[in-house]
Amino acid sequence: MERKESIVSEYIDALNKEAAPGKTGNGVNDQELEQIFSAVRAVKSLKEPALPDSGFAQGLAEKLTTRIQERERSGTVRNASGVLAGQSRPKLSRPKWMIPAAALAACLLILAVMVSSPNMFRNDVAYAMQQAVSNLSSYHGVLEMRSNNQAGEEWLVRRAELWSVGDRYAVRQDDGTVTVNNGDKKWQVRPQEKAVAILPVLPDPTRQGFDLRDEAQRALQYPHEVVGSEVIAGRDTSKLEIRPPGGLAYHLWVDKQTDLPIQIRTPMQNSLQTTYTFISLEVNSPVEDHLFAYQPPQGYKIVQDDPGQLVATVEEAVLISGFAPLLPDAAPKRVLAFQDRMVLDYGDTTITEVSAQGSFAPAPNSALGQAAGGPLEVWWEGLRWRQNGLEIKVTGPQRVALAAEIAPDLTLPQVSHDLVSQAQVKVSVDMDIVRANQMQVDRGSSPWQLDPLHVAMTFVNLKVSPQGIIGEPEIGSASFKLELNTGAQAAITVSEGPVKKVYLQRLLRQDETGIWSVVGYDPR
Amino acid sequence: MTFDNAYSSVFIKPIGIKKVKVIRTNILLKAAQGDAYSIEELCLALWEPVYRFIYHRVQNREEAEDITQESFARTLAYFRNHGEPPHNVLGYLKTVGVNIIRDSWRKRQLQGKVVNWEDVKPLVEDNQTELVQRLRIESALERLKPEQKTVLQLRILMGCSVADTARQMGKSEAAVRTCQYRALQTLARYLDDVD
Repeated sequence: MERKESIVSEYIDALNKEAAPGKTGNGVNDQELEQIFSAVRAVKSLKEPALPDSGFAQGLAEKLTTRIQERERSGTVRNASGVLAGQSRPKLSRPKWMIPAAALAACLLILAVMVSSPNMFRNDVAYAMQQAVSNLSSYHGVLEMRSNNQAGEEWLVRRAELWSVGDRYAVRQDDGTVTVNNGDKKWQVRPQEKAVAILPVLPDPTRQGFDLRDEAQRALQYPHEVVGSEVIAGRDTSKLEIRPPGGLAYHLWVDKQTDLPIQIRTPMQNSLQTTYTFISLEVNSPVEDHLFAYQPPQGYKIVQDDPGQLVATVEEAVLISGFAPLLPDAAPKRVLAFQDRMVLDYGDTTITEVSAQGSFAPAPNSALGQAAGGPLEVWWEGLRWRQNGLEIKVTGPQRVALAAEIAPDLTLPQVSHDLVSQAQVKVSVDMDIVRANQMQVDRGSSPWQLDPLHVAMTFVNLKVSPQGIIGEPEIGSASFKLELNTGAQAAITVSEGPVKKVYLQRLLRQDETGIWSVVGYDPR
Repeated sequence: MTFDNAYSSVFIKPIGIKKVKVIRTNILLKAAQGDAYSIEELCLALWEPVYRFIYHRVQNREEAEDITQESFARTLAYFRNHGEPPHNVLGYLKTVGVNIIRDSWRKRQLQGKVVNWEDVKPLVEDNQTELVQRLRIESALERLKPEQKTVLQLRILMGCSVADTARQMGKSEAAVRTCQYRALQTLARYLDDVD
């Protein structure tokens, strides 16, 4: 009996580690044990499945491609029946003997990198932060925003108290305004106006304003390193320096005990610098339910402007919104129906669908892909396109997977696509000027440099009027058309004047904050 | 029939309405010939439903990843040899996955080990069936003694070690192992009763 109890325990341990139980050596011949294993699996099936690491699909595709191509080369294509007959066959994963060799090689590689880069260990802070943030279930804190100028003067801008539990949150500003989203309803209590405004639950820009996850993501995305330790709000922290390419470095302080970010300081721009600090932060502790209960104070008026309705089924949403949405395979967690649109909530990702009106105009600075046979706008964390008379926008981390379920032909911009080499005339670029321009844009000046159409228009008009553009440009914006934008390179056709096509590149930063530079053109 | 019932039967369907995934035939055939782009497109589109389907049966990531890989490999081999993909590619991939699980379990049976075939029988795929299964397991759990329920929650649903569970329940590790064994024996019986 004791042996059976241990076997069952080992079986549970193996499944908890997401390992195949057979490998723990507890394969047994016992009807009762088999039924117990089955019961273990049944209970575990109540949990969400443990998904593979990101990149699983790409790794799978790579292994399949290699295997098919190797077979092609060796000319030993098996027939399907041979494969299905359960013959001994190579697994797609590496042969077992390779694991120690590969592990040794990996260790040597890691050692070499560590020797050449003394910051290797310290960079783990950003990774640990991302993990800690993803494990955050609830928190309560006070966030303070302070600004200081070049002269060293500092002042408090505002202070907010935050409560967050899963999808629900409440924010109280120091002027008494309270914004609450309890998952079913979002509202704002405005004591100055003695009013309660009912707001749409989704999409929710308020949450993005203080979400700790964004900073963790950015820290991993850009080059970063630990530059010291400091005590912030009584907490021992690691100070991370984050350097966006071509921009000014900024700092993030990560609590050494919880691995959570507790302070961020922007670079000094236009003689001003802002610091956001969690002067108190309690994590994963109970938050009182009454905070999220909708109880308008007595005597307050209710302001309501189509906040949408949470509905139980898509069919109900159809009755309210008046159109049938296009749905991905996975079921949304919630559906919010408005009179003219529908919002499908997938947790961290939101799909908004509206009836298409007028012609589709992608943001000039967006990268362009393809979806449903038409253009796909790729802009910050969102994808937008038209399909079956609807305009669909998907925002959030799962945007590509969900969008591809709605539009199976979805093609993202080919970043590796080399447009620039096609230019008949190459334009030399002074990188010092580009860097200076990027910093200028980061400070909030000359934002037109983020728009490839505007950069191309300036370039072409300076060719026409080398002495400078005075008043309206000779060749107006209507003559410029974005032909292709991969996010890193763009081509713009010009319908009149001495230039037929302009080629541009984001030379410093290939994201929405990077400026465009003209690197070539085709004369007419 | 009341108005409410009539309304429900006509209009109300669960939110999780499945849409049939459309993968273009030429993508499938090119993938079978080893075209990297088409293989990636196929994997990106279908890995998750296949993986989830297999995970549901094996309940561990290691086997689910291996069997998902094998299912895609065998499916592409089939396309290549028959020159024509089946009408429902996702259904075919899942069937191949079930066959692989069966093969591996059959090997265990040949080695004299007992297997529970109920676990690999293909399920009717709809939300209703999933919901019924879930309810069946949840109601069986509810029938357990509170202590038995707690031990399964801690060990399986929360993934605690025996030592952590013992600490939280104020028991010895041996007592936790005995309690979880008895809880699972009873649960298996309840699940069997419902079947």
